[in-house]
Amino acid sequence: MNEKEFGEKLKPWLERSAHSLGQIQETRLKAARLRALDAYREPVRLFGLVPMSAGTAQTIQYSFVQRALLFLPLAALLAALAFQSLQDTDPGDLDAQLLTQELPPDAYLDPDFRTWLSKQQP
Amino acid sequence: MSDFLASVERRAFKQAVFSVQEDESALDIVQDSMMKLAEKYSARPAAELPLLFQRILQNGIRDHFRRQKVRSTWTTALANLGLGGEDDDSDPLETLEVDVHANVPASPADRLEQSQVMASIEEAVKALPERQREAFMLRYWEELDVSETAKVMGCSEGSVKTHCSRATHALAKVLRAKGITL
Repeated sequence: MNEKEFGEKLKPWLERSAHSLGQIQETRLKAARLRALDAYREPVRLFGLVPMSAGTAQTIQYSFVQRALLFLPLAALLAALAFQSLQDTDPGDLDAQLLTQELPPDAYLDPDFRTWLSKQQP
Repeated sequence: MSDFLASVERRAFKQAVFSVQEDESALDIVQDSMMKLAEKYSARPAAELPLLFQRILQNGIRDHFRRQKVRSTWTTALANLGLGGEDDDSDPLETLEVDVHANVPASPADRLEQSQVMASIEEAVKALPERQREAFMLRYWEELDVSETAKVMGCSEGSVKTHCSRATHALAKVLRAKGITL
C-alpha cells in the first residue's frame, strides 16, 4: 500500500472521528461559527470595486477601467479645486481697482448711475 | 461563508485537538481562526477559503505552542526560585476527551471494535511529531496538494513530502503493531 492509498483509507476514520464530537463541543463550535458570522460583512461592491478593508489588496485583480474608477474621486476633487481657484478673485484686487478709478465709489450707490450703467452694457 | 465554516469546523477542531491535546484550547483556536477569516478575508473568492482557513488555523496552533513555551519558561524559572508554579501540574492528555459513537455499527461487538480502532488511530495521530502530523493532515485529510501544503506550513515541497512519508510510515507501523488493518 503506498502513501496515498494509506491516507485515503485513514481519511474515513478521521472523518468519523470528527463527526462524533460530544454535545458540548458541537454547541461550542456552533456558537463560535455564529460569532464569526456576526463579524462577517458581505463586501459591498460599487462598479465592481470592493473596499480595501475587506482583505482585497492582495488578490482582487482590477481591470484598467476599474483601476481608473479608483482614482475618480481624487481626480474630481483636484478638478473642483482647480476650477474654484480660477473662479476666485482676490477681494484686495477689487478694492484696489475701485479706489484707483476716477469715478468715486459712492457713484455706485446712485440708482440713476446704476440704471445708466446697465444700459451701457451690451 | 456560513456553509464553508459549517463544513470545516469539526475537522478543524479535531486537528487542533490532535495538536494541542486539549479541548478548550482547541475550541479557542478554531473560534479565533473563524473570526479572523470572517473579519479579514470576506472579499476573497470562495475557492480560496479552504487554503486561507488552513493557514490561519495552523498559525493559531503554532501561536498556542509559542505562548505555551514562554509560559513554561517563566513557570520553570519561578519554580526554581521558589516563587510558585507548583500548581500547574495538569497533564493535557488527561483532559482530552475522545468520544467515538458515530456511525453506529450493527452489533455492540462491532461498535466496540470500531471505537477501539478509532481510538487507536487517534492516539497514533496524536503521537506523531507536530510537523509530520500537520503535513499528513493537510495532505490526506484536507486533500491539499504538495504545493498548497508547503504554503500553509511555510516550508519547501521537499519537506512536505518527507514529513508525509515519515508520518505515513509511523502510523502504518503503529497500527500494524496493534493488529489493525484499514
